[in-house]
Amino acid sequence: MAKYFGIILDEKRLSAIKGTPLEEKVEPIFGGALKRLVIEVSDELGQKTIEQFSKARFDARGFIEETPAAFKRLVFKKAVELKSLGPEVLEKALEELPTIKDEIAKEDRELPVPDVDISDILELQKNPVQKPI
Amino acid sequence: MQDIRIKDLPPPHGGKLVERVVRDPRAAWKLMEKCSAVYDIKPTLFKGNPVRNVYREIMSVCYGFFSPVEGSMTKAELESVLERRRLLSGWVFPYPILFDISEEDFKKLGVGPGDWLLLRLKGEPFAILEIEEVYEIDPLDVAIRTFGTPDKNPEVVRVPFDDKHTGYVIYKSFNPIILAGKYTIINEPKIRKPFDRFWYPPKKAREEFKRRGWTTVIAHQTRNVPHTGHEALMKMAAYIGDIKPCDGIVVNAIIGAKRIGDFPDEAIVEAHEMLHLAGYIKPERHMVTFTLWDMRYGNPIESLLHAVIRQNMGISFHMFGRDHAALGEYYDIYATQILWSKGIPSFGFDAPPYAVPGGFYIRPQNIAEFWYCPKCKEFAYSDNCAHKGIYSRYSGSFIRGLINEGVTPPPEIYRPEVYKVVVKWWKEFGYPFNNEKYLKEREERLEVDLPHMDIPEHLKKKIS
Repeated sequence: MAKYFGIILDEKRLSAIKGTPLEEKVEPIFGGALKRLVIEVSDELGQKTIEQFSKARFDARGFIEETPAAFKRLVFKKAVELKSLGPEVLEKALEELPTIKDEIAKEDRELPVPDVDISDILELQKNPVQKPI
Repeated sequence: MQDIRIKDLPPPHGGKLVERVVRDPRAAWKLMEKCSAVYDIKPTLFKGNPVRNVYREIMSVCYGFFSPVEGSMTKAELESVLERRRLLSGWVFPYPILFDISEEDFKKLGVGPGDWLLLRLKGEPFAILEIEEVYEIDPLDVAIRTFGTPDKNPEVVRVPFDDKHTGYVIYKSFNPIILAGKYTIINEPKIRKPFDRFWYPPKKAREEFKRRGWTTVIAHQTRNVPHTGHEALMKMAAYIGDIKPCDGIVVNAIIGAKRIGDFPDEAIVEAHEMLHLAGYIKPERHMVTFTLWDMRYGNPIESLLHAVIRQNMGISFHMFGRDHAALGEYYDIYATQILWSKGIPSFGFDAPPYAVPGGFYIRPQNIAEFWYCPKCKEFAYSDNCAHKGIYSRYSGSFIRGLINEGVTPPPEIYRPEVYKVVVKWWKEFGYPFNNEKYLKEREERLEVDLPHMDIPEHLKKKIS
């Protein structure tokens, strides 16, 4: 059974693939709220990929998920370089895995907190409906 | 004409709620005087990491979540549970509940059947174990038999369990000596923030449902921050009821040791609460609660424990989705729904668990899947929406991946307020998910604090 590797595209990544064959393969998901590229790989290559990372797994949709963000960046970089969404993209990224080892290790310890204003929810939480009894 | 209205909450599983909590300090002192040894509760470790703490089971037993179980199981009870998923009394119960101890600690304690053991937690008296029997187990055998095998349970077990499965690892990591007997909490723990406002043991939950005038309540099992698909599931599943939809929707989070990569429990309970604080479900109809249990991820087996817990709380219906309480591909993704629609004979169920002797009053609501469909313009139910190629399926792993990459999940996936709760705890712990640091610190602080309580002189000498 085929497995899939999804690459979510933000503005920066979208501009990186503008005018390339990859641009035509962009899929909107969640009604266009997100855009992604999908690499289809064999079950064996999918299995080989998840075995590289302790948290990685196939989800119910058959996607390879919970791989490190550094690895996703590397896969995107390889897709752009190879101008392809074939399995060779993932193969190449796996070959170069040792080059991002430190980044991956760091990710297990820290991830930058997003700059999001949470004052509104803190206000809501000041008066919870359920109170300790 | 038959009146089809449901007029009362279901009875507790086993007929009577267990409550083994002594609140009078003088009574507690008298019980401690009968003890002959003291034991400081230790976490169960796997490769140095905490995977379980028996204190959570003692809490769940003594506050009645696991009624009619009253303590650590005897050898005969353990065999009965492993062989037929029934207690010796005939009531359905899925998991071994055991107080395990190392041979070294057992020798040091010098206790045997008839002795009472004082259990301490965080350096304070916590509970008493009335030792009825002492026996040995083979933890690996217990682990294998608890979850099943493809040979013995071909209906739903797809591949043998291994060290990637948290529940299997928990049982495999048990100590070999079991002290069987009843537990009694003698020093009532204080639940820590933010869990304190979600603490509804069965007796209190039933009181609260009655105060709210609820007779039909549906349970939502969770170990996750709710995405919009979960929210749609809760709202739609609650249309079951009697002559009107359910009065109440009760989220019951399983709180305890978790796998690395899951959301912290603090974020899970507050994110669910945010659904009513931000008005997506009226708070008059929605309650967030939790049960202390180191999740075993046993899919159909776990669903039986969920039925025990939620029926004891007074809940009439239970949502069961695809991959219920599952991890990996060990079970069929519909194993729980198979159990609750026709039974799984190899696990002791020739019929669904509500249709067997010793079974449940709680009724299943087996739900397929919700997805986001831009053409339906809604969070659509998979048995309704036929827009293949357009809809987007939810995946918790996918959402965690987005967060990991620094992408804010859009409102089609997370309510903005829910995501902000994730950010709140991300700031607190320095990380959005459980990592080794969080799990170790969490194991030290646990979910409770214990008030100081003196212990009798003869026991002070026993503290090593």
